[in-house]
Amino acid sequence: MQIEYQTQRLSLRFFMLMLVLFLLQVGYGLILATQHIDPSVQAGTMNFNIARAEHLNLGILWILCGFIGAILFVGPLLARREMVAPWLIKLLFYALIFIAVWNFFTLRLAQYGIAGWWHGQPWLQQGLEYLEAGRIAGVLVLVGFAILAYVVLRTFPPVRQWNEIHWGLGLGVTALMAVWVFGLFYVARLDLQEYFRWFVVHYWVEGVWEVIHISLVGFLLVLMFKVDIKSVGFAVFWGVALVWLSGLIGNAHHYFWIGTPEFWQFWGSLFSALEPLPLVFCFWHIYLDAHTNRRPLENAPAFYFILGSVVLEQIGAGILGFSMTFALTNVWSHGTWVTPGHAHLALFGTFGMLGIAAAYYAVPIMRKAPDYDQRLGKLGFWLVLTGVLGLAFAFALGGTVQIYVYRILGLGWFGGDVSRAMGLFKLLLPMFGIVFTVGAGILAYDLFTLGRRVRAPAGTDPRGAIHGEVAMPRGSTGWGRPLSGFEAGIWLMLMWVFGGVITLGLLSFNLPRVRVLADPTLPYLLAGVGYPGLLLVTLAFVWRFLASLEARASLPAPTVVAVDAPLPLPARS
Amino acid sequence: MSCGTGGKSCETPRRRGAFVMLGIMTLAFVALSLFSFMKSRGQVTPDTVSYGPYRAEDGKRVFQAYNCMGCHTMVGNGAYLGPDLTREYEQAGPAWLAAFLPSAGSWPTAAAVRAQLQDPVQHADSGAGTIEAYESKFPDAATRVARRGGKPSNMPNLPLTRDETGQLIAYLKYTSAMNTEGWPPRVEAEAGPDERLRLALGVQAIAPAAAAPVAPPAAGPADPVARGAQLAKDNGCTACHSTTRQRLVGPGWGGLYGSRVSLADGSSVVADDAYLAESIRQPNAKIVAGYPASVMPGYDTLLKNDEVDAIVAYLHSLEKQ
Repeated sequence: MQIEYQTQRLSLRFFMLMLVLFLLQVGYGLILATQHIDPSVQAGTMNFNIARAEHLNLGILWILCGFIGAILFVGPLLARREMVAPWLIKLLFYALIFIAVWNFFTLRLAQYGIAGWWHGQPWLQQGLEYLEAGRIAGVLVLVGFAILAYVVLRTFPPVRQWNEIHWGLGLGVTALMAVWVFGLFYVARLDLQEYFRWFVVHYWVEGVWEVIHISLVGFLLVLMFKVDIKSVGFAVFWGVALVWLSGLIGNAHHYFWIGTPEFWQFWGSLFSALEPLPLVFCFWHIYLDAHTNRRPLENAPAFYFILGSVVLEQIGAGILGFSMTFALTNVWSHGTWVTPGHAHLALFGTFGMLGIAAAYYAVPIMRKAPDYDQRLGKLGFWLVLTGVLGLAFAFALGGTVQIYVYRILGLGWFGGDVSRAMGLFKLLLPMFGIVFTVGAGILAYDLFTLGRRVRAPAGTDPRGAIHGEVAMPRGSTGWGRPLSGFEAGIWLMLMWVFGGVITLGLLSFNLPRVRVLADPTLPYLLAGVGYPGLLLVTLAFVWRFLASLEARASLPAPTVVAVDAPLPLPARS
Repeated sequence: MSCGTGGKSCETPRRRGAFVMLGIMTLAFVALSLFSFMKSRGQVTPDTVSYGPYRAEDGKRVFQAYNCMGCHTMVGNGAYLGPDLTREYEQAGPAWLAAFLPSAGSWPTAAAVRAQLQDPVQHADSGAGTIEAYESKFPDAATRVARRGGKPSNMPNLPLTRDETGQLIAYLKYTSAMNTEGWPPRVEAEAGPDERLRLALGVQAIAPAAAAPVAPPAAGPADPVARGAQLAKDNGCTACHSTTRQRLVGPGWGGLYGSRVSLADGSSVVADDAYLAESIRQPNAKIVAGYPASVMPGYDTLLKNDEVDAIVAYLHSLEKQ
């Protein structure tokens, strides 16, 4: 594939900026993990809250960079014309850099208690989780979103001609801007402030990012597997519809304990239990789309990261989110390390990996290196996947200990007992963090230098990794045989079985045996089976899925496999 | 009508249906939200809560300005490095918080909490005039003082002024009064304190901790310098003052004695016995340039004359530091 429209090239700078911000964010993550073990590290110079504010802020910024890059790359293809107003896009790029630098300096003012109050608004930084940036940066971000929405909507054809992917992206970029407005007011009441804060955070993730995610995954699959755009459109439509219908009231799961009435516990438990549905749907679709036509993978890392994105969405957002979405489990998981286990998988997994996937798809095309060496990309993928699964494991198990010591035994933090009891898992955090960092470094290096490194010597297959080395021992183990729909279903079910064990584990804290007699056996046992089980099954499934795809390259002609249900195509007349 | 041809999407009718459903759900959500914030709900609001002259509304701004949520959770949201702060006022009470917040790098001792109780605002708010009454009213504060008093904490010192400290306490008073529908869950475990520690940390882990209280209380050494050092520790002075020249919260003591100190009003004074004793008794009488006033409580009624003398002797001994 080649570049069809010159404005597609504008995406390259956003991908590169994404990688820089990603590496910075990972660096902050390592500092945070160290400070969890020894809070005196950097104390007074860069307190934990400063590093964390940067970590969250950069996380949002680089994910947005990935989205913008991906949208700019596919936008002209969807519109069949050049993007309008390229100068605005360039302006957006410099604005993003400015915001990142501005936040670097303003977020650390929290150390001195400076928020920049003026006319009742905090202009420099506002000390709210995920919305740490002050009003100046907030308004700039709003302008940036307006630019993005304007450029995308003006480039797209008239609404009558929109297909589902146009709809998904169009709604996505508009809602991205609209939802942000709720974060631009200072609210004096804590309950009301949290109510509106989750408008931004929840609706961004659940309402906007996921819509953009579904649309982009859909279109990337169209590009990579030449799938029928109509059938993907069907998936995108149902994905978006289910996301919004479950997520709108599903936001209630943030309103259990912030001072809002008890009835939210009913609505939140009910609707957000439905939130995994679109994720299961998306998961199933990636199986179908990747397996209906049995072309060999051309760009393995790009697909690796798309698969990673969809699978981690399934287990991070879907299964771990489900486990803590009921009032009776959330009462325990809320405010503990169990939560960041879910958050790291859901945010990095779903959205971060998508940005990296889009970069791996677009950068070789833009740099005219379709036959680039894919080994580094694959290695990077396996390292970040293992790393982030390990982080989730450390957080979730550490959180389980935390619930027991802090909430069941009631040993306050002030005795220093809680973090001591969590010690082992606090140590695991930087260990997996380093694995993750190495992976991130490798893939950033790979993408920075892709197409600029020395090419493989003539006569060898530059994509050797796909065709040769890894394919050979598979015949004996069967890991490379085609993945049937039945088997994919079994894997998915296995993940949910472990998810069920995790949910029961959180639920078991309610038992008198645990709560009154303080016997931790059951919750520890269920968590000790559930979390490692889920994460190992995930790793194995990704391995199996990719092995089956890669084995295609070595098969001369695809043997007939039962691909159970052909795509339910929308009726044509 | 045909779809799939002429640019018409097959999903149009379905899309319309989805938008209608979404509209209905939005209305339901808005209705639930309106119910949530009606007066009849009886939820406490920050404009109705104050602590002495300090308003909870201002405290919320201080809370955000220092990004407290970046380490702590509030109603369970935030970061997980430190404890949840929702019920902090209810558990530790205003005097413990007032003793802790300005010098967060170290845990307040009983004497440091007692120093705060002289404040009439404290007295009016906690309803406890003596440390004993306070500790029986806020048993959690008693536990903290007993287990951690005088030890370094994991929290860095923050440049909180006296007003900011008061405002933060007012804000924590407000969050403590909030109805959060039963969160954090009540502790129902029956085990006693030692048993809990054993359950949390294992048998070996608590052995050294159990040995700690056995250490005999220092029975007032005869040497005034040693006695002064012990008094400075017991009264929590070292939470704010280092024994070197380093600035923690207040000025460091190293090399202080006999040096010339510039004051906030532009004058200067030699740090002799009289100046040091006055600064212990009425800290606000002479404020060192570059330091905020009213952060340190006065020890006039808390320390006897010979105790002040012992501390001054101790400071004298740090002259060469």
